[in-house]
Amino acid sequence: MYPAVIETYDVPTSVQEALQAFAKRGNDSCFIAGGQSLMQAIKARVISPKSLIDLQRVAELNGIECNQGAVRIGAMTRYRDIAADERLDGAFQALRDAASHVGDRQVRNRGTIGGSLCWNYIAACMPPTCIGIGASLDLVSKGGKRSLLAEEFLQSPLETARRDDEIVVAVTLPTPQKYCGSAYKKWGLVTDALPVVCVCAFIDLGNDGRCQLARLAVGGLATGPRRANVGEKALIGVSATDASAISDAAETAAASTETQSDMWADAEYRKKLIGILAREVITTAFARAARGKHS
Amino acid sequence: MNKEISITINGEIFQQSVPIRMLLVDFIRDVAGLTGTHVGCTFEGVCGACTIHLDDEAVKSCLMLAVQADGRSITTIEGLAANGKLHPLQKAFNDHHALQCGFCSAGILMNMAEFTRTNRKLTEDEIRNALVGNLCRCTGYAHIVDAIKEVAGDAGSISAVHQHNLERA
Amino acid sequence: MSYVAKQQGWVGRQFNRKEDYRLTTGKGQYFADIVVPGMLHLVFVRSKHAHARIKRIDTSAAKAIPGVVAVVTGEDVRDAIKSLPQPVVVPALPARYPTFWPLAVDKVKFHGEPVAAVVARDKYVAEDAADAVAIEYEPLPIIGDMEDALKLGSPIVHDGWENNEMFSMTFTGGATPESQAANDAEVDQLIKSADVSIKGRYRVHRCGVTPLEPRGALATWDESDGMVAWITTQRPHIDRLAMSDVLDIPTERIRVIAPRDQGGAFGVKAPFYREPILVCYMARELKRPVRWLETREEHLMSVSQERDQIHDLEIGATKEGRIVALRDRGLADNGDGCEGVYWGYLMPFLGAALLPNAYDLTKCDIKIRVACTNKAVLSPARSFGAYPTRFALERAIDRLAHRLDKDPADVRRLNLIPTLPYVTATGVNYDSGDFLKVWDYLIKTIDLTKFRAEQREAWRRGRYIGVGFGVGAELSGVASSVLVPMENQPGYGAATVRLDPRGKVQVFEGDAPGGQGHETSMAQVVAQEFGIHPNDVTVMHGDTSTTPFGSGTIGARAGSYTVSAISTACRVLKKKIARVMAHDLKIESDPDDFVFVDGYVVYTKSDNVRKTFREVVERIIMAPLNLPAGESGGLEHTSFFEADAPMICFSAHAAFVEVNSNSGQIKLTRYVTSEDVGTVINPQIVEAQVQGGVVQGISNCLFEQFIYDENGQQLTCTFENYKLATAADVPTVEVHHEAGTPCPHTPLGSRGLGEGIPGAVPGALTNAVCDALRPFGIEIDELPLRPDRVWRALKEAKRLAAAE
Repeated sequence: MYPAVIETYDVPTSVQEALQAFAKRGNDSCFIAGGQSLMQAIKARVISPKSLIDLQRVAELNGIECNQGAVRIGAMTRYRDIAADERLDGAFQALRDAASHVGDRQVRNRGTIGGSLCWNYIAACMPPTCIGIGASLDLVSKGGKRSLLAEEFLQSPLETARRDDEIVVAVTLPTPQKYCGSAYKKWGLVTDALPVVCVCAFIDLGNDGRCQLARLAVGGLATGPRRANVGEKALIGVSATDASAISDAAETAAASTETQSDMWADAEYRKKLIGILAREVITTAFARAARGKHS
Repeated sequence: MNKEISITINGEIFQQSVPIRMLLVDFIRDVAGLTGTHVGCTFEGVCGACTIHLDDEAVKSCLMLAVQADGRSITTIEGLAANGKLHPLQKAFNDHHALQCGFCSAGILMNMAEFTRTNRKLTEDEIRNALVGNLCRCTGYAHIVDAIKEVAGDAGSISAVHQHNLERA
Repeated sequence: MSYVAKQQGWVGRQFNRKEDYRLTTGKGQYFADIVVPGMLHLVFVRSKHAHARIKRIDTSAAKAIPGVVAVVTGEDVRDAIKSLPQPVVVPALPARYPTFWPLAVDKVKFHGEPVAAVVARDKYVAEDAADAVAIEYEPLPIIGDMEDALKLGSPIVHDGWENNEMFSMTFTGGATPESQAANDAEVDQLIKSADVSIKGRYRVHRCGVTPLEPRGALATWDESDGMVAWITTQRPHIDRLAMSDVLDIPTERIRVIAPRDQGGAFGVKAPFYREPILVCYMARELKRPVRWLETREEHLMSVSQERDQIHDLEIGATKEGRIVALRDRGLADNGDGCEGVYWGYLMPFLGAALLPNAYDLTKCDIKIRVACTNKAVLSPARSFGAYPTRFALERAIDRLAHRLDKDPADVRRLNLIPTLPYVTATGVNYDSGDFLKVWDYLIKTIDLTKFRAEQREAWRRGRYIGVGFGVGAELSGVASSVLVPMENQPGYGAATVRLDPRGKVQVFEGDAPGGQGHETSMAQVVAQEFGIHPNDVTVMHGDTSTTPFGSGTIGARAGSYTVSAISTACRVLKKKIARVMAHDLKIESDPDDFVFVDGYVVYTKSDNVRKTFREVVERIIMAPLNLPAGESGGLEHTSFFEADAPMICFSAHAAFVEVNSNSGQIKLTRYVTSEDVGTVINPQIVEAQVQGGVVQGISNCLFEQFIYDENGQQLTCTFENYKLATAADVPTVEVHHEAGTPCPHTPLGSRGLGEGIPGAVPGALTNAVCDALRPFGIEIDELPLRPDRVWRALKEAKRLAAAE
């Protein structure tokens, strides 16, 4: 119910200060972003950090920049702000789909994209969405910077490639091709519940209206979020009106995904749901791609 | 282990040295003595009864530490009525019998006060979706939705059922 | 010319709740808001094992933490606190009652059983210390399934018991084994020879009520005045008696107070639990105030678990659909069975007694068994054991209709009890009401004929819509004739009505509401009686020192019994006022010649002969001179109301769904109820009870489930895993009570409602889904009603169809 004793609390105002605080406090420290997941774990005493380094005042980590279609989302950007940003429409609209249904509106006022990615909870929306749209994460440490694709960063549930002394500072997306669209949908037992399964689709249409690149990312898996490569291949050359090919690709994606059984759904029904969700998000992504919008 | 913090709650400054691990909801209830904000779940932060405004944003105070609100301004249910005048939602809740045991009400009022400040002409679906972060066990939500509709609803969103129930009340 | 009242009566009129101002401005006084200076915080250490011997408890590390005042274990208290059962909390029914203390002694029997307790000055430190208590267990085999628990050779939950059966009962066929055997044989014969019989196994999962406010207890002890205990309880007077017995405190030195505001209860705050006993004990031991505030996790681990029954039900019927006989073998999973007053089994007991519901079923053979397992004991929930029995019979009726290719609505109507009063085959009295009228109103309102046409069209287009029905004949208060044998407690309603010299009224009643609006509806009743305004009436409740003895807020007592006691007391006082007034005016009259309206007491036989209510009242209380012979001064009266028959209320539900035949997902599109609640006191409050009760029923059926794994670990102790319906998951219920009839046994004609409402829901919902999927011939007889269950049933049906 209540956290164990916390010995220090730092509120840096820059990334450098945050890194220094970590160096000072040592490995029994945690960075805290929106806290909507971390505080659950701290209150449950699943983790009991001696030091907390709060990133909420690091202004440089906040905000969405768009530059000729390329997008840079500060790691501390709240779900609420992502959900409201129309500049993400089209190619990266899956982010808005996901962000607008995380938890509830109180959670969306505080929770952040960076926090979600670093936590990589098994039932989370941001990890598979970022994989699906081809996002990269910028990480900074005292030793330097690096950038990782989301699918390299995100490992099995609660595991990421982030070293303890690194801070994720931004999620970046390259300028998309002209006809790109993405969509995200999840299924849970009640409205906006943590996803039992979820799918993100990203479609890149050539000038002929046929898919030239597809990404399908599935979440809610015991393996951690995964791309459904076989399903992606099945979409190459498919057009928006080819409902049966889309359906087949969705089924292929579902069949090829390794699913687990738990109290919410068994492995077989999970596959069924993945197929249904995949078909919906692929169809929506095609429609968004066809509009050809990018700034 | 302890930190000296200063939080403004409903316009009044509370300055105190508190354990870093103290939850914001406990600061509000035990340090400031404002017990209108309630705790309905453990660590999961799902029920929403602890919802308050942090600098005008609706957040769950059980998922924050008091130290995280240092230097900031909070509004709780006790501060929702301004200068003795009830907020339209408070009045609408009474008119529509939108509470029974009342344990969830503060959290709902604070969440909806923020939501309806910038969102008007709401449909029934929009209202119900905005309430996902507040669990209620007594009312079945119907009258809560009615009350919010009265304050910020789209006139066309008065459903036939609502109308029927209103007429017979 | 007689006086024409300007003011409309208060009963039946819309009146905003008086409670709301304080509850919407943060001024409620709930349990957790009560602070006693110097109070210590008590935290329980709970078992991590489902079944294990306690080998060793090391409290030294916990005790060493600064700020920790005491750490106690079962060994510390077993000789200091009397174990349960104690007589006041034991029903007069033949069950086996396990011995237990507030902390586990010798072994633990469920995941979450309290094993030790820490008391500290700070609640955070108390949790640190609880974590530091080290317990060595020797795991024992887990009894995790109620059917396995009753098999020969099963491990035993309670030491000394030769099996795990806690209770069993036959509800039909009279009192002797011979008459029961004859009845069973007759029922068997009727089923065998019936035109059609429907046999099924119906299973309802473990789910319950989880009010938003968890439990708590705060006790203070003073050597001269004794114990004061604030407890989140529905039954302060019963808790006081029980606590007095268990802790050997003379009753005059113990006071129990249910906080003025409680955040919901729905039954789960009615039992006499372990935790408050330990809190009171520690307060007396330490001679300091001690408080325990339950966490949600504790709550979900140890209480709020109900339903969890299996029913093997068979009905025999004519080819018209008239049921001629019914046989039920019910089984309930009662966890460790350790709970004062209810012992978990009273719920399946009453559920079985109510199994015939509102149907005319004269030939029944109904038996239940209640098993102990390594789970938390069942705790009362709204619908009190009848949620599963309602489900079973409603599903059987629909299956009967499907077999006969008839509309389930018609088969249902054919079997509804046509006239009341009626006594069920299980001996339950239904006093009054017109079930057919209420039912017909429902069918007319939903325009079933039109829906059936829409449904046929939808099926043609590959859309699956359906309607399902459920009914509920629910207890409206619980009469002494039922409550004394069932719980050794009286059922009367009790209230003190006290007038003051300024013409204002105070009502004192011993129930403990948790959101039902008693302060308002009771004020309306008093205002109507005396012709004054509800704002002139205040209601005090829940404090055993200031209220008359009452059995508490259970079984919809308030609207039926307590309110009746209030109006009875008002009428006694009105007669006295009328006698004095007549005497003062030197009129020969009958007390009924005076009416109380618009703040006046008016003599109806002559114009302008009236006095203000206030002046008459003031005269009697403050200036008691020249009173009529035999009359004394003062205006206060306590009434105890017992209805001359146990009473019921009735509702009929219709649920509309659309089912996705690909995914199995269910959309609830409309929900309509038709109610008989008798005279309505406050229309909004009545309607709200239905909204809330139906939504709880929906949430139980579709979303909630308590799950124990094969190691007896409870997996659903947070709201992340025990999922409640949100506002976006449920519709607004369309509530109708136009077809009600006043109850002839209460002064106002009111019926109590609220408690039983969820019972009709699972049948209505599941029947709706099966109705929608009629083209596939799906029958679903097990809950929870989840999309994957529907999907699996569809898959199987499609496979079978393809194979043909």
